[in-house]
Amino acid sequence: MIILLLATILQLVPLDGRWLLWRPNLLLLVMITWMLYFSDQYGIEFSVILGVFADFIFGTTLGFYVLIFTLCGALVALLRRTVAYLEPIHQAVLVCLLVSTSELFKAWSNIVVDKPVFWQHLPSVVLLSVLIWLPLDKLVKTIHRWQHQ
Amino acid sequence: MAYHLQVMANFPNRVKQWVELKTTSREELEQRANNLEKERLILLGKLQRSADLAAENLRLRQLLNASELLMDSVLVTEVIGVSPDPQNHRISIDRGAEDGVYVGQPVLDATGLMGQVVEVYSNYSQVLLITDFNHALPVQVVRNGLRSIVEGVSDFNQMELGFVSPTVDIVIGDQLVSSGLGGRYPVGYPVGTVTEIDYQSGEKFMQVKVQPSAQLDRSRHLLLVFTLQNGVFNGQN
Repeated sequence: MIILLLATILQLVPLDGRWLLWRPNLLLLVMITWMLYFSDQYGIEFSVILGVFADFIFGTTLGFYVLIFTLCGALVALLRRTVAYLEPIHQAVLVCLLVSTSELFKAWSNIVVDKPVFWQHLPSVVLLSVLIWLPLDKLVKTIHRWQHQ
Repeated sequence: MAYHLQVMANFPNRVKQWVELKTTSREELEQRANNLEKERLILLGKLQRSADLAAENLRLRQLLNASELLMDSVLVTEVIGVSPDPQNHRISIDRGAEDGVYVGQPVLDATGLMGQVVEVYSNYSQVLLITDFNHALPVQVVRNGLRSIVEGVSDFNQMELGFVSPTVDIVIGDQLVSSGLGGRYPVGYPVGTVTEIDYQSGEKFMQVKVQPSAQLDRSRHLLLVFTLQNGVFNGQN
């Protein structure tokens, strides 16, 4: 719960305009790590609830992030049995795939409503998400081990 | 709950400000105070000229039997939150219905128009910035009075003028101010400067890019404008 609260606060910290485009979706990263390591507690319902919360935080139309989070949650649920036992660097590929899916879906929805899309920031957001995910993964893995001891 | 989350998220910024204040030396503070005093004198000088122009304007309006001149009152406010979605140009300010804030109220910073209040809660409000994709604002060119509409493109450093015919008199460097049409924004507040004009032959309109006057992604202290109409300030009983 503390990790989720911290992620929410970091997501809301006011930044200058140019940095806003670089900030990764921390809630999505928290969802991915929790669903990977606590699969018995956090299933697809958790991704739906977190999606509703993300819609509230981002001020988007209700259902926008629910759809993105559910889609990513479903992919994690599908692949976690294989991915959970891989090396972190290999798991990062999955994170890269999920964040790219989320960003491309956002870009597509912006194109649909004629909003501008900042394509040049997409690779940096994906890369930063992976870089943030690596220590986050280590932290959640430590908590997971500690709970099972 | 949203308000409390925003206050918590704003906490690192407050700590940063506090540390900056505590680590500033006495010499630096004295230098800053001296600079501010000089700036104040320059502004007072400009204000004298402005008061003279306002008086002249009033006399001319009286000669023309024009309607009552609008006068504005302001309330200082602080930014407590910024929308985490970079496409959604909204900010939260620490003034709400308890301070007389109302929906549609114009918001300024020290250099120009920032946006308008779109949601009011008891102790905080949401402001839609002029650079938001869903925002459009009637403006006029200071040099020749040409009227147009400036639209946001979800970029903090750029807006676009809509429907500008290739034959109109507009040049790079032209200053734009609010025209007051539509009744939402008061007349004469700086909006931006024309930075780029592009015309592809065969097109009906030119593409005119505008840099906003206000520091939309940096200003922390803002002004809420209460316009005086028929002797009563809007939003205040």
